[in-house]
Amino acid sequence: MPPSIHPVDLIAALREKSLTPAIVFLTSRRACDEAMEAFDHAHTVLPPVRQGAIAAALERVIAQYPSIAEHPLIPTVQRIGVAAHHAGHLPSWKIAIEELMRQGCLDAVFATTTLAAGVDFPARTVVITQSSIRKARDFMDLTIGEVQQIAGRAGRRGKDYVGFAVVTPSPYIDLDVLTKGFTGNPEAIDSQFTISYPMVLNLLKAHPHEQIQAILAKSFAQFQLNQRANVLEGKLDVLHTQMEPFGPRVCTDWITQWHTFDQARRQKPHRHQIARHESPEVTARFHFMTPGRVVGLNKGRGIVLRQYRSKGQKSPMVTVLRAGGAVTESPAGIVTDVFDRLFECTEQQGYPWCAPESFDELLYQLTELPTRLPLLPILVSKESDLIPDAIVQSLGDFPCPTCSSRPACQKDYLMASRLRQEQQRHIKSIQALRTSLWHRFQERIEVLQTFGYLSPTSHLTDDGEWARLIRIDHSLLITELIRAEAFAGADPAVLTGVMASIAHDDDRPGAFPRVSTGLSSLLGQVRKLAESLSPYEDPPLLRADIAAVAERWVSDPSLTWIGLCRSTTMAEGDIYRLLARTLEFLSQLHTLRSTHPGLADSASQAIALIRRGVLEELP
Amino acid sequence: MTSNELEQLLAQQPIAVLHKLARGRVHRHFRAGKRRLIELLLQHSSQNLAGLESDLHALMSERPTQPQIAPTPARQTVPRHTAPPPNRRPHRAHEPESTEPGVSLAAWLEGLGVPSPQPFVPDPWQEEALAGLAETDVVVSVPTGSGKTYVAVEAARRAMDENRTVIYTSPLKALSNTKFTEFSKIFGSDRVGILTGDRQDNSQAPILIMTTEILRNLLYDAASGEIDVRLDTLGLVILDESQYLADPERGVVWEETIIFCPSQAKLLLLSASIGNPQDIADWLTSIRPSPCRLVRHSKRTVPLRAGFLHPNGKLTPLFRTAGIPYGHPGQLHPEAKRLFLQYEEDTLPSGRPRR
Ligand SMILES: Nc1ncnc2c1ncn2[C@@H]1O[C@H](COP(=O)(O)OP(=O)(O)OP(=O)(O)O)[C@@H](O)[C@H]1O
Ligand SMILES: [Mg+2]
Repeated sequence: MPPSIHPVDLIAALREKSLTPAIVFLTSRRACDEAMEAFDHAHTVLPPVRQGAIAAALERVIAQYPSIAEHPLIPTVQRIGVAAHHAGHLPSWKIAIEELMRQGCLDAVFATTTLAAGVDFPARTVVITQSSIRKARDFMDLTIGEVQQIAGRAGRRGKDYVGFAVVTPSPYIDLDVLTKGFTGNPEAIDSQFTISYPMVLNLLKAHPHEQIQAILAKSFAQFQLNQRANVLEGKLDVLHTQMEPFGPRVCTDWITQWHTFDQARRQKPHRHQIARHESPEVTARFHFMTPGRVVGLNKGRGIVLRQYRSKGQKSPMVTVLRAGGAVTESPAGIVTDVFDRLFECTEQQGYPWCAPESFDELLYQLTELPTRLPLLPILVSKESDLIPDAIVQSLGDFPCPTCSSRPACQKDYLMASRLRQEQQRHIKSIQALRTSLWHRFQERIEVLQTFGYLSPTSHLTDDGEWARLIRIDHSLLITELIRAEAFAGADPAVLTGVMASIAHDDDRPGAFPRVSTGLSSLLGQVRKLAESLSPYEDPPLLRADIAAVAERWVSDPSLTWIGLCRSTTMAEGDIYRLLARTLEFLSQLHTLRSTHPGLADSASQAIALIRRGVLEELP
Repeated sequence: MTSNELEQLLAQQPIAVLHKLARGRVHRHFRAGKRRLIELLLQHSSQNLAGLESDLHALMSERPTQPQIAPTPARQTVPRHTAPPPNRRPHRAHEPESTEPGVSLAAWLEGLGVPSPQPFVPDPWQEEALAGLAETDVVVSVPTGSGKTYVAVEAARRAMDENRTVIYTSPLKALSNTKFTEFSKIFGSDRVGILTGDRQDNSQAPILIMTTEILRNLLYDAASGEIDVRLDTLGLVILDESQYLADPERGVVWEETIIFCPSQAKLLLLSASIGNPQDIADWLTSIRPSPCRLVRHSKRTVPLRAGFLHPNGKLTPLFRTAGIPYGHPGQLHPEAKRLFLQYEEDTLPSGRPRR
């Protein structure tokens, strides 16, 4: 039994039930190409009328995009009436296939799930063979939104009464993911707001420093942070009512009074043992490491089951549930991140510190966590919470032992102080939620000041004035390269090569043309600088082989597109995307013409040289 | 457990569980098919099969349905800030095991065919969106293929009739190109322009098409007083595929664009179905001059049916009902269930049958 259905049988089965035209989503580009080849080998040949219709439709597309006239797949598509459509193809070829599909010329298209949202590319039926897609170098389950986006292509308005989504299994499939996807509600959108260096420079260019906080407050990120803060405000109100019976007594702040007295009573004998070197960061975070909290550890993530202080050193400790069910006891210092996610957790005395149902539930949740979790913004306060020695010394001076309110205080203290701690925790969280964006902005400002793009008063320096025009990924690396005059004397081809290696973020291996010595030594310099900047900006891949492809295209204007494609194993769609992205990067350099005329000039020459052949056809 | 038994147990697991097991154990595990993955897992853990086994059991124990844990207010607990997890586990255990046989294949296929040509009549939601735009910003969240383009085109037409300019953005250059062609056909090529990083075709046209990044850059330039394109006459900004707001790398660009969108221009956000469109609308209301109108629905215009095709060519409905049983992922068609189990059994390592 083959693990999945043969493409020819698949389309035959669909055709028999009148379920064509269909889009078949496959796991890889290769699978798409192989499916098409399988058709070719099966000698399924379209009747001449349909072949004629395809030829006529292609004719019209070719009139607009002449480069595809010679496309090697044209005869095959015309003969068999099916096609592949994936990112390895040129945009113009994809447009041609989309047009053929819209006109009803094809029975099936084999596509990868990268088939973009919004491209008008519908069919009567979509076939789904997978339940996960490659994202960030790992396979991830499809989200409900993604399943619905894929299934959404089934059923053309005006051409079908109903649409069909047919699941056919391959070894990659998890049926649950798909049934959940078909029947569920799409995920809520979470803000992914980040503060980049160019954002800071551009904001400070247009607005005075004191207005920025109000601008950041307009973000969807802040809107969602406020929603969470509001939930906490609601809880604070509840706490406030719960606190009512514990108002002022003989002392106004009897809770603190009793707390100090009680602590002093207890701590006196082993006060010297308390670790005073606990970092304020750990202390601040420890408040939030409550049962159910998701935390990041050196390796992986875990959920806190219990927090306590160790017997001897009184150092902060946590019991953490880790993936796979391990329960570990560690100092709170091992927690690297405190995430903004808290699960319900029914606590219990003794191992494993929570009720069995909670344990199972948490273990399940741990594996279902999304890869990206928002961090809990935590403000680190500088002052220590320890009671000053002076107070301990004067234990005898406390009024508590003889106070009339003593029994009531003693009885209520635990409850009251717990409520008040909760209150304070919420107040701190709310404060952090309301100010975290601003803090992140400040951090960026500090970096930009260190590098000299901003003055100590947060005004743009001369360098800042032009650097704000570089609004792409790796902007810091690019502007630092410009300041180091790394591009001085670099010809358009070398400049293109460097920009390509900064722009390209795919680690797919392949065979490539040789890189020139000039480019190679410049790339060495770029790599060094990128490494030194890594505390402030993630370094790009900086692949020399990729740089060579782009360099080749620019350095030899007589090189044809086919010639370029032959020099590497990269798919032509990938080469196209590489050059298109490089164009974007170069066009940003071009905006520096008033401050860096030489560089801008070199960039515009490079742009002119890149824009030829297929790269000339689309804007 | 012998390694043979372990192998069989692995084979009974859905592939997703195997991938979870393989994380950190098998390099590039996502490249492997089920059989190969099992081989690799066993190979890697040959010195520590017990470890693999216990991890597998841990994963298995969380998978089958455990009753949802109701928040237990039994003990006196102080209310705690609990961020709701984004996806609650589906209530598989509570799914009533229906004894109905499930829809027949013939009934499932019924209605297949081509409707006769109908005159174009805008859907009520399309009218509603356009009416809303006459007054204020509008967020549209409707399923894929519903007809958001019609709203964009009509809205653009109305803005131009009032001598206002229009900017249309999409997340992808490829999409911009398609829209450029499409809009040029509708409005005439002299009235549509396209901007990319290094090219400006017809940049004085009343409708400009660009990617969202380009618009964001324009808005920054405008804010600092260097304007390339006239923004004072801008009447409408259309952000297509706004669900990109959730994109980890690029989502921020949509936020920047919306924050800096000139207040005299109306905003039209077109989005596929998302979980919290009301939040987006509330957000816009909180930062824009007038309250935002939300137009949403989740009903597909062309109804969808889901099927299951076994590699042996046998086709069956996927669910008991002909349509999609929204909210009930467990209502599998008995035949689909049987065929899928058979499939999992047939694709055991080296073809050995289970038991
Ligand atoms: N009111 C209507 N009556 C009939 N057909 C319509 C109507 N509105 C739109 N259509 C048709 O529906 C099809 C899909 O429209 P469109 O591409 O605008 O969908 P969309 O919502 O933008 O989808 P996507 O999520 O893929 O971007 C088009 O062929 C369009 O002509
Ligand atoms: Mg659309």
